[in-house]
Amino acid sequence: MDPLQLLSGALLLVGAFFFIAGTVGLIRLHDRFSRLHALTKADNVGLGFIVLGLMPLAPDLFYGLKLVLVWLLVVIAGATGAHLIAKRALRGDGEDVL
Amino acid sequence: MYRHPAFAHPRAATGRAIGFALVWLILVGPDAASWIVGGPFVVAATLASLKLSKPRDRNLSVSSLAVFVPYFLIESLRGGIDVAARVLFPRLRVQPGNQEYRVSLRSPEARLVFIDSISLLPGTLSADLRGDLVTVHALDVRTDVVEGLATLERRVAALFGESLESVSDRTTAEHSPSDGTSVHETPARPEGRP
Repeated sequence: MDPLQLLSGALLLVGAFFFIAGTVGLIRLHDRFSRLHALTKADNVGLGFIVLGLMPLAPDLFYGLKLVLVWLLVVIAGATGAHLIAKRALRGDGEDVL
Repeated sequence: MYRHPAFAHPRAATGRAIGFALVWLILVGPDAASWIVGGPFVVAATLASLKLSKPRDRNLSVSSLAVFVPYFLIESLRGGIDVAARVLFPRLRVQPGNQEYRVSLRSPEARLVFIDSISLLPGTLSADLRGDLVTVHALDVRTDVVEGLATLERRVAALFGESLESVSDRTTAEHSPSDGTSVHETPARPEGRP
């Protein structure tokens, strides 16, 4: 097997591990603030490793740049979203659907 | 006389348009026909950004960015490992609580980067910002949160070329662990189950 593919597979597995850890955190933790911790941080790292794992398989430079851009946009959106959810929850001025 | 920001700040408008065009190019690839859709959206994004964020002098330091990026990546990785270890062990090792931190960064961009970075670093989540006070939610209030925040703030200040005046007594612990030895889950504040 191609060592590059092996490296790629290993990085993808590490990425999947972090996504699973984030989901376990979402289920096991008890308040919404702590759940946000698990989701933002674990998903940030998980997606980072997925992107790293896909990098060796990228057919051209554009593809690689696109992967990095996707990661960057998800990280910014994730952190901003987490802050806004936490702010709403803390101030208690949001609408609770459930 | 009122002039549209796109004409009042030609340099900012051009720079931003180039930036958005690059994003489109990276997302879609070098396909000439795609600009039928991409072109109008680049123009729309540039106009929207000029309206939402007024052009002004920003001194983003490139050499500091080269220092900040590895720091951010390493801390992100530590944050991920930290939270994974806390939730994957059979015994949940968390003691959440809020802490206030007085931010000395001035410019909105620097504050934005600071606020967003807090949530990606180990054990901290920016929950609120009122004036100069950031409410930071810590996954474990027994760890030293303030030192990490101060380091991050210094790095962000260097990134935007700001100088931080030293402010003593920056934090007030709102929730201190009275039973610091026992490990159990305490909700940050009483709330109904979602």
